[in-house]
Amino acid sequence: MAHASVAPVGGPLLTRGTKLALFIAAVASVLVSVRLFTGLGPITALNDGFAWGIWKPLNVVTFTGVGAGALGLALVAHVANRGRHHPLVRSAVLTGAIAYTLAGISVLVDLGRWWSVWELVVPTRWNVRSVLLEVALCVIAYCAVLWLEVLPALLERWRDAPGARGRLAARVLPRMQRMFPFLLALAIVLPFMHQSSLGALFLFAPTKLHPLWYTGWLPALFLLSCLSMGFGAVIVVDTLTHLAWGRRRDVRLCSSLALVMAGLSFAFVALRVGDLATSGALRHVTGWRGVLFLVELGLFTYPAVRVLQRSYRENAGLLFWAAQLAVAGGALYRFDVYLGAFSPGLGWSYFPSLAELVFSLGLAAAGVALYVVAVKRLPILSGVAEPAERRQEAARLRAHA
Amino acid sequence: MPNVSRRTVLRTLGGAAALAAAPAPAEARAPRPPHDDDLGLLFDSTRCVGCRACTVRCREANSLPEDVKLVDGVPYDAPIDLNDRTLTVIKRTSDGADGAFVKAQCMHCADPACVSVCMLGALHKGERGVVAYDVSRCVGCRYCQVACPFNVPRFQWSSATPRIVKCELCRHRWREGKGAACAEACPREAVVFGPRAELRAEAHRRLEAEPGRYQGGVYGEREGGGTGVLVLSAVPFTAMGLPALGSEAVPALGETIQHGIYQGFVAPVVLFGALAWVTWRNRRAGGGGEGER
Repeated sequence: MAHASVAPVGGPLLTRGTKLALFIAAVASVLVSVRLFTGLGPITALNDGFAWGIWKPLNVVTFTGVGAGALGLALVAHVANRGRHHPLVRSAVLTGAIAYTLAGISVLVDLGRWWSVWELVVPTRWNVRSVLLEVALCVIAYCAVLWLEVLPALLERWRDAPGARGRLAARVLPRMQRMFPFLLALAIVLPFMHQSSLGALFLFAPTKLHPLWYTGWLPALFLLSCLSMGFGAVIVVDTLTHLAWGRRRDVRLCSSLALVMAGLSFAFVALRVGDLATSGALRHVTGWRGVLFLVELGLFTYPAVRVLQRSYRENAGLLFWAAQLAVAGGALYRFDVYLGAFSPGLGWSYFPSLAELVFSLGLAAAGVALYVVAVKRLPILSGVAEPAERRQEAARLRAHA
Repeated sequence: MPNVSRRTVLRTLGGAAALAAAPAPAEARAPRPPHDDDLGLLFDSTRCVGCRACTVRCREANSLPEDVKLVDGVPYDAPIDLNDRTLTVIKRTSDGADGAFVKAQCMHCADPACVSVCMLGALHKGERGVVAYDVSRCVGCRYCQVACPFNVPRFQWSSATPRIVKCELCRHRWREGKGAACAEACPREAVVFGPRAELRAEAHRRLEAEPGRYQGGVYGEREGGGTGVLVLSAVPFTAMGLPALGSEAVPALGETIQHGIYQGFVAPVVLFGALAWVTWRNRRAGGGGEGER
């Protein structure tokens, strides 16, 4: 069993942290219920020029970028067959499933006519030319795939239970294992499609996107950035769960992923700069958008260069820092395309309203709470100490205190 | 150890490169040129005196509520831009004497970005080239607003059941034998309604009759792949707020790239098959270990 060491963390679900997260999420859901009656105008700063506000680049494009660690690990652990990375897979898949679900909720709240969203799955109504339709269908499908990938963790917990749940788990688990290669292939093809298309969306706004960002390579740049920030997010989450629950981990797993992350970052920077140099758009590196562009490049390049050094990437603290920068770089690039480098013309401006920010914060909080609850009850994390071991440790700490 | 890592890097990058959306068009998409009998408008800025009769008549013809604002306690129905109850409006290019009047409304592109991006075809090319809106197919995603280079589609932000609002060339009046209300209202033939071929002929007749009066030719003949609304002006079109578009339709590059990647859905299916096979083989080889996930 590759996941022999995978176990629930255990412990109480309602801690001070999860209570706070649930409170923030509750405030956000109050805002959503207000929006149902008032429409989007009164609670958002959206307008006819900036019809897409912060919810798109943050809740959808950055959250799913963080969730793309699931895609990255699928490639590393199953396609490149680096089996030793398996201990990281379940956490990344859970992160992905939660991130994509939150993104879906955000889109639903953002849709003006949300009640008609079911029509998206009726093929006779499709406009097959629409890139956004492709994104929507892929994201819906991928969300289902991710939760199917999380399912075995729940079934394994049930398997040992007596009665119907145990029998169900015993029957379903082997079937899931047989269909696993197909599920995994979907779990790679679908995000390849929609992550690149999240960039392709802006190919259709040639007059509004700044020339430093408008390029035919938008789809490739969005795919590369989701992978680099996805690997970064895997390292960040692995470090955080280690700090939170004192689970044992092999830092070398993360440090080798940091090399993959660095390779992707270099590919991103090379494509981005090479493309701008050949198209002559580099002369637009002026003003505050020029600064944004340079900060972006810095956030991609700096951590990538630093982790090339073995002593840097095998230092858990420095690696954590580099991974955070890589996530920030991917997020900034995506923010710039959707907002920072987007200008509908003279006379339009946008700054998110408090309610928009609170909703984003509430989604993130709900996501963290869901993750914590899941890893406490389901076998997701590796290196979790045995309860007896933990009791000893706690007793030892008490004795010292 | 470094070897293993390097291999991991290379193989993962290989996967990323395989997808790489090469902007080299696989096959240029078929152009969607304007038709001679498409209906549209000719707006001659040099004839417009800014009376705004068009705005008022448009409001009546489309049964839209007034857009009354109080200025120093006095109510005015004088919208300063298109909005969720105003389908056409007259603006000014500058506050100087050399300024010109500008009429804003949907340009009815031959190959519109809003129609390309609309998920369920709520915005679609209707009868005689009009860019029509069908609310029953709209989910309110507002991608049309992001994609329209003219910022034409407007959204009912303060409604719980919002719709997109834009000029549809008064298509509901065609059956009564009437054209666009704005053209009907114009006292100086600054706004003319008719089939594209006639509008083009009229535009060129005016250009040739008084060449000194105009500059820049006819906007919309070629711009953005051709628009149903043609514009004549004494000031540069960019000064009128019209975007500088090439002769390529706005959605052409995006569709060429996107449809190149997804041609016949071959690439995703091949990728799926290859990945499923590699994963299956890896598991049989027993490397990854059974029972995981």
